[in-house]
Parts: sequence; structure tokens; C-alpha cells
Amino acid sequence: MDLQLFHSLIAGIFIGGVAGYLGSLMITKRMALVGDALSHVALPGVALALIYGINVSLGALPALFLGILLIWLLEMKTKLPMEALTGIVFTASIAIAFLFLPEEKVSTALIGDISQVNFFDALISIILGIVTWFVLRRIFPKLILANLSEDLAKVEHIKVEKYNFIYLVCIALVVALGIKVTGSLLMGALVITPAAAARNFAKNLFQYSYGALLMGIISCVLGILAFRIFALPAGPLIILIASLIFGLSLLFKKQ
Amino acid sequence: MKILEVKNLNVSFDDEKAIEDLSFSLNEGEFLVILGPNGAGKSTLLKTLLGLVPYEGSIRWKEGVHFGYVPSEFVVPENFALSLREFFQFKNLPHEKIFQSLELVGIKASENFLEKRLDTFSTGQLKRILIAWAMADNPDVLLLDEPMLYIDIHGRETIYDSLVSIWQTKNQSIVLVSHEVGEISRKIDKILALNKRKLFYGRPEDIINPQNLAKIYGSPTFS
Repeated sequence: MDLQLFHSLIAGIFIGGVAGYLGSLMITKRMALVGDALSHVALPGVALALIYGINVSLGALPALFLGILLIWLLEMKTKLPMEALTGIVFTASIAIAFLFLPEEKVSTALIGDISQVNFFDALISIILGIVTWFVLRRIFPKLILANLSEDLAKVEHIKVEKYNFIYLVCIALVVALGIKVTGSLLMGALVITPAAAARNFAKNLFQYSYGALLMGIISCVLGILAFRIFALPAGPLIILIASLIFGLSLLFKKQ
Repeated sequence: MKILEVKNLNVSFDDEKAIEDLSFSLNEGEFLVILGPNGAGKSTLLKTLLGLVPYEGSIRWKEGVHFGYVPSEFVVPENFALSLREFFQFKNLPHEKIFQSLELVGIKASENFLEKRLDTFSTGQLKRILIAWAMADNPDVLLLDEPMLYIDIHGRETIYDSLVSIWQTKNQSIVLVSHEVGEISRKIDKILALNKRKLFYGRPEDIINPQNLAKIYGSPTFS
């Protein structure tokens, strides 16, 4: 196996896994499309990173945190629904990014480029992937309980606002990582589709969350291998395989 | 010995009074039913006692008191992959404790029963499971918000019996919010009849009579 493929697979395993795991929580909290919207908010940062040749995830992160901060501030100031404000911020972000994104970099920004993953990217994926998964694993039961009844969670001394904030930071981290693999256009699907597939056959929370993690890993590994065999873009292949797994999972869905 | 003392409690939402100048107390091991028509501020009072709603006045719980709470709204979304075992694991309870708690609410659970998903239970079963969950880690006070809501008469009797059995077995204080006078009123210590203000407070035999009930339910105030 050549080194580049090895780096890509390592990045795919850790990013796909943590994205699937996060997705199981996002679907439960009915926030499936937030990952999609936020990946677009990251575009100006991605564009700058591509122009200056730095790590795309590192470029995406500050843009994501700025976007989240802006949405949060606008919500306090205007009292408009969060989804409307997210819509305004993410479309404005796309508009800003396309003002200075060079034409030859558009494809990389939108659907990612796994062939650019190097040792440093793989290492970042391992570290951030494990740290984010570990944090999510700690807050998972607390957020699930708060999702069933926020009052009940508060009586159990769960600081719901604090955990919601940590959860948002985890989303930003996973989106920033995933943009390297699938690009900003398809990142949302890497979070939603494996988790939706796992939900179709899961009998409990463990099967659901770790099933989603496994589906995320399988989608990325098969997608990257298919990219090597067919020389087609890896990002769309990963998402198509995830969609295929979702289709197969429908066979296991209880009526 | 007092476990709770409430003095001159006032709660408002957007300048509208939900609770006005309320004072009462609760002794250790006492069973109190908060009674009143819809919109009387009963659920608000329960949430205020739990520190979930801002208020004016004084609420003093005995130091270190541990609550068990059964909310009125607890909707499990369809296709929600959470097993009964996992639901109890949120409280990090030993295995035998789960079985004991379920037995107290009349559910004889097996290992297979614990693997059932929460979204497969009926509303009545879910209410009993919630009561078992709330009291599983031995709270000093169990607070229940309309546990009989949407439950048929047979289901209500089962829940009433479970509550009285828990009360007699565990000697916990219980605060139960209800919009109707049920059979349970004969077996408890105190009733607090509420319609934003305190209407009656005392022993059930002194309160439950046709004149007082007409006063409690006859003229609900919605202003």
C-alpha cells in the first residue's frame, strides 16, 4: 500500500467514524441539516486555506466559529428563528467565498480532495477524531436525556446549556475535519446518512450510535478504495456508498 | 421535621401572575397533593420548587435534599432507539436496583423486558416506568406532575396504588400535582388547593367536601 493511500484511509476511518457517531446525536436532536449548513459557513476559510496552501480543516475552523458566533449574536439581537439566521449566514458565506475562490480550486472546496491528505492531516484526524469522540461519548447520555425532557435533565443536575455549547463545538470540529474528505457541499451527508442507516436497524442507543460510527468508517474506506480503482472523485464516491448502505438498511427496518 | 418551607412565593410570566403570595410547608415523609383546575399554577409551582422557574419570595429545602421528578410532558419520539436498560443506565444504577424499582410500580421485569425500546411502551406503562426511574436512586422527595394525565381509570388505579405503596415502603416525602380529586385523596396527609393563590391547605377530610370543591373548580381565574 502506498503512503498516500494509507494517509487517506487513516483520515477516512477517524473522520468517517466520528462524523457517523455525531450524526446519531444530531438526528436525535432533529438537527440533521445543521451540519450541512455549517459546512457552507466554513467555505470562506476553506477558500483562504486553498489559496495560501494551508490545511483546509485549519482554515475552516475559524470561519466556523465566527459563523456560529454571528448566528448566536444575531439570534439574541433579532429574536429571529435560528434556522432563518443560519440560512442568512451560510448563503452569505458562500457568496463571500466565491468572490475570491480561484476557479481551479472550486471543485476541491466543494467536493474535497482526498489525494491531498498528508501525514500531518492524518495525524490531525486521529487526534481530533479521538478527542471529539471521547467528548461526545461523555455528553451523549446527558443530551439524550435533555432531548426527552429538559426539565428532567436539569433536575438531575445536568447543565443543559453548557452541554449544548460543547456539542456545537464538536459539530464545528467534525465539520472542519470532514471538509477535507468530502468538501463543503457533501459534508452534511457524511454526518446524516450513516446515522440514518444505523437508525433503521438499531434496537438500542449503543447499536444506533456505534452502528453509525461503523457505517461512517465503512463508507469512507470503500469510497477511498473506489476512488483508487475508478479514478473518480473520492468525496462523491464516499457519499454514494453511504447512500447505498442507507438503501440496504431499509431492508432491515421494522415495519 | 420540615423538609420544605415556602413563604410569600410569587411567580410571574410577562407581568402575568402565575402564583400569588403562597406559603406552605412539607414535613419529612409527608404526602402532599397540590390540587386545582387547569391554569391554576400547579405545574408552575412544582417547577418553581425544583428551581426551574425564577421566583420572588422564599423556598427553603432541607440541606442536601435529593429530588426525584416525574414531568407531565415526556414524549418518546417514534423510532427512538433507546432501551429501557439504557434509560436506567443514565442514573448509573446497579442491575438489581432497576428490577426493584420496576417491581414497586407493579412491573415484573425480565432481562428481555429491559431490552425493549422506550418507544414501544404505552403511555400508562411509560408513566409507571418514569415513576420507577425517578425513585430508583432513593430521592428524599418525589415530585410528580399530573402522572394520571391521558391514563384510563384502570391505569390510574395502578399508578395510585404504586405511589401509596412507594410512600409506605420508602417513607419518602411525595408531592403530587393533580387537576382532579382521585381516590388517592383518602390516603394522603395533606392537600394544597390552589388557584394562583392558596384556597385551602390541610387534611383531606377537612377539605374534600362539595362546598370546597365548588370553590376550587367553580370559578377558575384566567386573567
